[in-house]
Amino acid sequence: MKEELRELWRYRELLFTIVERDLRIRYKNSALGFLWSLIIPIVTTGVLTFVYGYLANNGVSNFSAYVMAAYLPYLFFQQSILDSAQSVLSQVPLIKKIYFPRELLPLGIIIANFIHLLLGWLVFFAFLGFIYLRNPQVNPFQLSTIQLPLLMLISLFLSTGLGLIVSALNTFYEDVKYLTGVAMYLLFFLSPITYTSETVAYSNINQRTNGMLFSLYHLNPIAALSTGYRQALLAPASITIGNTTHPPIGMKPMYLYIAAAVSVVVLIGGYAMFNRMKWRFVERP
Amino acid sequence: MSEAMATRTPTISVRNLRKKFRVSNSAIGGLKTLLLWWKKRSVREFEVLKGLDFDCYPGECVSVIGRNGAGKSTLLAILARVYRQTSGEVKVNGRIAPLLELGAGFHPDLTGMENIIFNGVVLGLTRKQIRERIPQIIEFSELGDSINSPVRSYSSGMLARLGFAVAIHVDADILLVDEVLSVGDYAFEQKCYDRVDRFRKEGGTILMVSHNLQAVERFSDRCVWLRDGQMVMSGLPDDVLAAYLKDQVSAQVAETEAPE
Repeated sequence: MKEELRELWRYRELLFTIVERDLRIRYKNSALGFLWSLIIPIVTTGVLTFVYGYLANNGVSNFSAYVMAAYLPYLFFQQSILDSAQSVLSQVPLIKKIYFPRELLPLGIIIANFIHLLLGWLVFFAFLGFIYLRNPQVNPFQLSTIQLPLLMLISLFLSTGLGLIVSALNTFYEDVKYLTGVAMYLLFFLSPITYTSETVAYSNINQRTNGMLFSLYHLNPIAALSTGYRQALLAPASITIGNTTHPPIGMKPMYLYIAAAVSVVVLIGGYAMFNRMKWRFVERP
Repeated sequence: MSEAMATRTPTISVRNLRKKFRVSNSAIGGLKTLLLWWKKRSVREFEVLKGLDFDCYPGECVSVIGRNGAGKSTLLAILARVYRQTSGEVKVNGRIAPLLELGAGFHPDLTGMENIIFNGVVLGLTRKQIRERIPQIIEFSELGDSINSPVRSYSSGMLARLGFAVAIHVDADILLVDEVLSVGDYAFEQKCYDRVDRFRKEGGTILMVSHNLQAVERFSDRCVWLRDGQMVMSGLPDDVLAAYLKDQVSAQVAETEAPE
């Protein structure tokens, strides 16, 4: 793997070029171009604010911010992996003609998506500023926001590891793309994105199992990360289930450590797997 | 090979090179096939290269000839590191610019200019270096203002010119040419050949695969004849071409006589 990493470093210039190319192609034939990367999070925030403010108000003020805090990193994760799935397969004609480290294809796409995540955070913090302007009594900005880069690093490792695995497998077995699509779709509902981890903690089933469900639930790195982002970026909020209002409970940092460990293992394992398979990409039947 | 050449270090050195391909009988290696017929999967192996040995030296143009399926393109693809050999040793001294198929590395939605940058970087230049060369590349390719149009609007001749222009301007030490110099019109072809001559005089190595025996005769210093993945003969183009043609004719005679 050392040799592979050295080769990757030698080709870093190409990695930047692939990222640039990916960003260019994405909006190549659209009039608004790169602005779309900002419009999508802006519109999402607007719609969520309307929905959770008027249609499905659950008592948490500015719940749309809580959803966005978990949804933006989830979107990065989902899009990175779905894009990775096609990254090598769609470039088979190119890699049949010329050599470069094949991992640059999924890596470039993941980095391009990471840049979109950064733009998403820009919109997110602008939204927090907007909330502050509307109600200057409460400062929505949290000191714990400094944890954000660390959380994003875990997300990046996890997405890269899984992206490498999915891109390698999908090159040979195209069912993988559909399987991943279904998995991503289900994972969205199985993670605390449109609801909070408190909801899980205070659920009947969790109370009956003495909190075992809560622990199991947060072993899913995406669940732990979703709650982690929310805790870092926003003030804890109490939630109302039925007629009782529950105080916020914090997620133990242990779950984030587990998510970090899983991400590192997935990254190393994924890269090793990709490297074992990459020479056969051009020989696919 | 002259005495002077023998003492120089080869730019390409190939020892006992073998390449096997595995072909599974099902058309697509689907997940279903993998899961259901794991045991029954019948994988056929065939050897395309069966132990090749040869060297190429700086300033030399070596052409590889042989019938379809002899392993010529596979050999070039291994040297270009598109395939990995099954066994044997390949040593390459210097940077390779493969011209395996003109314009293959271009993205249709990007402009010619953007594609120049991308391809130049793939071939090992930094973006700064490639930007400095853009004027020369555009001039050589004779594309003019079309350079700012998306490549999907290009004709095959335009693609060929752009591909060659990029490959020749990246300061490669070795050019791998697979049957591509004969694209474009006569004037451009001459320009390519002139440029290739200059490249050789400057010490570059060329390994080309061609069915155009006139081009082989005109350009190469040495000729390698492959048949079924093995070297039949290697030497001066005149000798090898004569033997190759004789073999082709007798094979044809044998074929026409066979039914009787």
